Amino acid sequence: MTAPAIAADHLARSFGSTRALVDVSWEVPAGGVCALLGRNGAGKTTAVRILTTLLDADRGHARVAGFDVATQANEVRRRIGVTGQTATMDELLTGWENLETIGRFCHLGAAVSRRRADELLHQFDLVDAGRQLVKRYSGGMRRRLDLAASLIADPEVLFLDEPTTGLDPISRGEMWASIRSLASGGTTVLLTTQYLDEADRLADTIVVIDRGLVVAGGTPEQLKASIGRPFVRVTLPDVDPANLERVRRLLGDAADVDGRSVSAPAPAGLTTLADVVEQLHRMGVPIHEVGLEHPSLDEVFSTVTGHAGSPSPAPAADGR
Amino acid sequence: MSHPPAAAPGRLRLSILDAYTATRRFLIRGKRQPDVIFGSLLTPVIFVVLFGYVFGSSIIVPGGNYRSFLMPGLFAMSVLFSAGNNAVAVATDMSEGVVDRFKTLPIARSAIVIGRALSSLVLGIPVLVMMIACGLLVGWHPQNGLGNAVLAFLLFELFGFAIGWLGVLVGLLAGSPQAADVIMNIPIFLLGFISSVFVDPAKMPAWLRVIANWNPMSAIVTAGRQLFGNTIGPPPSGVWSLEHPIATTMGLAAIIIIVVTPLCVHLYSRRVSR
Repeated sequence: MTAPAIAADHLARSFGSTRALVDVSWEVPAGGVCALLGRNGAGKTTAVRILTTLLDADRGHARVAGFDVATQANEVRRRIGVTGQTATMDELLTGWENLETIGRFCHLGAAVSRRRADELLHQFDLVDAGRQLVKRYSGGMRRRLDLAASLIADPEVLFLDEPTTGLDPISRGEMWASIRSLASGGTTVLLTTQYLDEADRLADTIVVIDRGLVVAGGTPEQLKASIGRPFVRVTLPDVDPANLERVRRLLGDAADVDGRSVSAPAPAGLTTLADVVEQLHRMGVPIHEVGLEHPSLDEVFSTVTGHAGSPSPAPAADGR
Repeated sequence: MSHPPAAAPGRLRLSILDAYTATRRFLIRGKRQPDVIFGSLLTPVIFVVLFGYVFGSSIIVPGGNYRSFLMPGLFAMSVLFSAGNNAVAVATDMSEGVVDRFKTLPIARSAIVIGRALSSLVLGIPVLVMMIACGLLVGWHPQNGLGNAVLAFLLFELFGFAIGWLGVLVGLLAGSPQAADVIMNIPIFLLGFISSVFVDPAKMPAWLRVIANWNPMSAIVTAGRQLFGNTIGPPPSGVWSLEHPIATTMGLAAIIIIVVTPLCVHLYSRRVSR
C-alpha cells in the first residue's frame, strides 16, 4: 500500500471555549509505529478520538486506511483496532466471552471468533484468566485483554491511547514487547504517550503536539538532534576537587560541574559513554555512578514550544 | 485480510447477526446477575401473597374469586417490571466503558437496543413460569381452554415486547442506572394501580374511574381475563378500549413498536457517536 495509513489534514476541535485541537496535520506511512507525544491536555486523545470515528472534527479532514473518518466511518471501523485509556471490557463476561463477542461484532463469524479468542488469550498470556469474569482481573490483565480485543480482526491500523500509563514497570515492558511484535507483523500503530523514552524506544516517527498544535516531528533521531543531545553524567563518591577537575578535563570543554557530578554532551550516545567509562577506568578515578542521560520531556517542550510547561509528572504517575 | 464493502442485502444480514450477538451478550449478562434473577423470581411470589391474601382478603370482586381476578393483572405487572429492568440494563451499558468499545466496532447501530429488547423476552420466561406456578398454586386456572390461554400469554409477550422498548428508551434518556430505575418506577406504579389490575374500577371516584378505564393496562388485563375466562362480567359501556381489549392491546403494541424502535435506534446512535 502506498497511501499513508493515517492522514490528518488541518484538524481542529473545540469543547466550548477550550480549543483541544487548533490545527493539526500529519501523515503516518503504512507499516510503521508513530508516537503522538505530548503533555496531559495537549490534544492527543482528541486527535485519536477523531481518527477512530468517535468524535467529529470542527474543521479539517482525516483519512484512515484510505477512508474518510467522517463520511466513511464504518469502513474505517472495519479496519482499525482501538485501545483507549478506559477499560472497555464487559465485567460480567469472561475474557474469552468478551473476545468472542467482539469477534462476532467484527463479523468474523462464530468459528473464526472462537479461534481468534483462543489465539489471543494464548498470545497475551491470559489462557487461565480467559475463563474468569473480567471483574476479577487486575489492572494489567484488563489492559492486555483490551489490547487483545483490539486485534481480533487483524486491524490495518491500531490506535493505542497511552497504552502504558499507570502500568507497573514489568507490565510496561510486556506492553512494549507486544507493540513491537505487532509492528513487525506489518500493523500500523499510532500510540500516544507523554514519555519521550517510550516514543524513542517504540516509534519510527514522532509527532510532538502541544496546546493543540504540531510543534515538532520526525524520526526519534531527528527530533533528538533538534531538541538536544544526550549527555553523559559522572558522579564521584564525594566532592574531591582534584578528581572532579580530572573528570572535567576528560569530558572536554563543554563539561559542567555540579556538586560531585560532572556532565557533558554525548554526541555519539552509548559509544561516547563506553569511551568515558574506559578512560575513567584507565585513570583510576573512584567513581560512584556513570550514566547516559537523555533530554527530559520538559526540555523537549521548552525547546520546541518556547514555554516551560506545568511541573512534569513523575514517570510512573498515572494521568490522562 | 480483505474487507469488501458490504452491499445493501449484506448489510441487512449483518444487522441481524449483530442483533443476535447483542442478544446473546445480554443473556450472558443476565445469567451472571443472580441477585437480579432472584429478585425478579421472588417478586411474583410476593405479589401473589401480598395481593392474593393480605389485601385480597378485604377486596370483594363481582363473581367472587379475587385470586382468579388478580392473576391476569399480575401477569401484566410482571411485563411492566421487566421494562424497568430494560431501562436499568441499557442505562448501565451506556454508563460503562464497554460502550466505548462498541463505538469503534462496525456494529449496526440498531444491534444493542434490539438485543436488549429481545433478551428481555427470553429473560422474562422463567418469571412467567414462576408466576403461572404461583397462580395455579393459589387456585387460579384458565377457564377458556388451553388454546385461549396460550393466546393470552402471546398477547402478554407482545405487550411486554412493546413496553420493553419504552424501557430501552428511558434507559437511553436517563443519566445513570439509578435515574433509570427511579424514572421507571413512577409510571409503573401509576399505570399498575390506577387500573383494573388489582381492583374493579367501578368503585373508584368518577374522575379516577375514567382514568382507570382508559388506562392501557386495564385493556391488556381485560384482554387477558377474557382469554383466560376469568372475567368479572361485561366491561363498562362506552369505553372502547375495554370493549375491544384484544384489538386495543395489539394496536397499542404495534404503535409503540413502530414509533419507539426507530427512536431508540436514533438515540443510541446519537449517544454513541460524536
